Amino acid sequence: MQLGADSGSVRRKLIAASCALLGSSAARGDPGSITDQIGRLIEDWKFQSALAYYREDGRIQAIEPVISAVRDLSDGGKLAFNFTFDSLSGSSPNGALPSRLPQTFASPSARSFAAARHLYTVSPGRLPSDPDYSDARVAGGVDWTLPLSRLMRLSVGGKVSYEDDFYSATVSTAVERDFNDKNTTVSLGVSGEFDFLQPIGGAPTPLSDYALFEKGGHETKRGQALLVGLTQVMTRNWLSEINLSLDRFSGYLNDPYKIVSVLDGVGDPVSYVYENRPDSRTRRSVYLDNRVGWKRESAGLSLRYMTDTWGVHSDTAQFRLRWWTAGADQYFEPSVRWYRQSAADFYRPWIPQDGPQETYASADSRLAAFHALTYGLKYGIRLADHFGGFGREGTEFNVRLEYYQQTIQNGPAAPAALQGLDLYPSLKAVLFQIGFSY
Amino acid sequence: MSRIRRFGIMFAFACALGGASRAADTEDLDGLRGRVVYLDFWASWCEPCRHSFPWMQRMQQGYEGRGLTIIAVNLDRERADAEAFLRKFKPDFRIRFDPEGKLAERFQVRGMPTSILIDRHGVARFTRVGFRPADEPEYARRIEDLLAEQ
Amino acid sequence: MLRYKWKLWSAIAAGCLMSAGCSSLGVKPWQRELLSRQDMQLDGSGLDDAIDDHMYFSKEASSGGRSFGGGGCGCN
Repeated sequence: MQLGADSGSVRRKLIAASCALLGSSAARGDPGSITDQIGRLIEDWKFQSALAYYREDGRIQAIEPVISAVRDLSDGGKLAFNFTFDSLSGSSPNGALPSRLPQTFASPSARSFAAARHLYTVSPGRLPSDPDYSDARVAGGVDWTLPLSRLMRLSVGGKVSYEDDFYSATVSTAVERDFNDKNTTVSLGVSGEFDFLQPIGGAPTPLSDYALFEKGGHETKRGQALLVGLTQVMTRNWLSEINLSLDRFSGYLNDPYKIVSVLDGVGDPVSYVYENRPDSRTRRSVYLDNRVGWKRESAGLSLRYMTDTWGVHSDTAQFRLRWWTAGADQYFEPSVRWYRQSAADFYRPWIPQDGPQETYASADSRLAAFHALTYGLKYGIRLADHFGGFGREGTEFNVRLEYYQQTIQNGPAAPAALQGLDLYPSLKAVLFQIGFSY
Repeated sequence: MSRIRRFGIMFAFACALGGASRAADTEDLDGLRGRVVYLDFWASWCEPCRHSFPWMQRMQQGYEGRGLTIIAVNLDRERADAEAFLRKFKPDFRIRFDPEGKLAERFQVRGMPTSILIDRHGVARFTRVGFRPADEPEYARRIEDLLAEQ
Repeated sequence: MLRYKWKLWSAIAAGCLMSAGCSSLGVKPWQRELLSRQDMQLDGSGLDDAIDDHMYFSKEASSGGRSFGGGGCGCN
């Protein structure tokens, strides 16, 4: 990467970039009154906000406000902030299998089966789920892009996320270079993540018997990722992108709250054990994205293929179509997403009591083989031209609705006692979102 | 060489813009003799052009008396888009339309926006690709330098 | 497993072909009116994608793959 002929020019560029970052455009002329200054400050920024409500059929529901603010800097760079808050509640599957018998479990904060308020009972045939699951998360990120030259940009970003049992921090950096009159862009990015987990009740000893409440303290995990991208303008109407990414996570990768049912020969549960996953996971993925546009419509098609060292392979295809109305102030955007994944090598819906000793086992449906479909519809209206020109270019109100259904593939042949039970119930969820951009 | 060059530029102008406007442009050629010309290539969809227009307006108002003429060549495919932009910014400087990009091709426009500063003798002296608010003082200085020349 | 290796390599080959033929593809700088539109940006629906990604991350084993720039109006 050539930054300049001499270190002096690099220093000058960095100083210029910092000035662009810290300076305000109000410096251009007479500052004016406070309201003028505030008005000008907002003028420099573009905001996007959304409030999403997510609800699974009989399981989790979540509410999530998101806001992002982007500022174009005077040197041609960009500064972006984003902030998310989400609050989840409802019942979350704990990994155990439905049974023809009633089952009793203890919530993560329990230390023994003694205190009844920490226990919950699941009726025969129902998917065991912790009914009082609740979590709140706050996350924020910043991204700064500075131009190294007319054709090259450097971006630096960081994000942090906070929940009461999980803290995460990520830093990332990327370089982009344009070629062919900006028809081609090559990008290279790396990122590093550090996570600190403090499970409620402590991290359980993997594969230990659930009833023993063998729990410890905190855990950590680390991740590194590499991303290489190529974006190409194909024609006046068509833009294409291909990204290759490689990431590796190591450390504590288990879900501290998930258990696996241990079943006897007939199929009744005799005990439960805490799950265990390998302490490293490397993923490779190829992502292709396309946008095609005409005067009043545009379409997007993206494909992703992923494979990892846990034995999971997945295919994703997403298609979006946008129609602008005659006045070009409103649009409709239906979308569809198809997803399929294979099960992780150590995915076990249950462990047979007399089976071989397992090093790793998890019944988490996230690691199961399934396919999923999402249908979505978005409607947006540009407000710049309505209401007497309220707002500026880019002022928009939009509404989005999505329906997600996940169908889990049946596992191995079920023992006698489980016949007739729905061991892998489908997941159905709805997302409703309203958004406002300014 | 300089006079030929300037004639060449203006001739290219007139040719590229077609018959109907030729009469007006012949007048333009006379009006431009001995002036510093800031030739800007823009389009309604070009985000930095929204910042460049107020700046060009200030330059035109500040330096017109001293000999600066700004000509902004629009490269929109659809005239209606350009006109919507112009209604918003209401510039005082000259606007020309080049929807097929013939002039842009001839001046080897490599990015949007592109501006070319032509001195009083018709020689293209500075070409800038892109518009960044941070560059404004430097470019104003270049205009002043050319205006100071004879 | 062999079938998946084929997919990975053909995708990489597509990328190489794209970059090899890249110098002949593209448009003039003033022909980017459609590419500059917000719905033609690769990250145009940023907030929606972030919300969706969060939903899929909590339910599926894959995540990410996106990000980066390019395309757009090509200005500056």
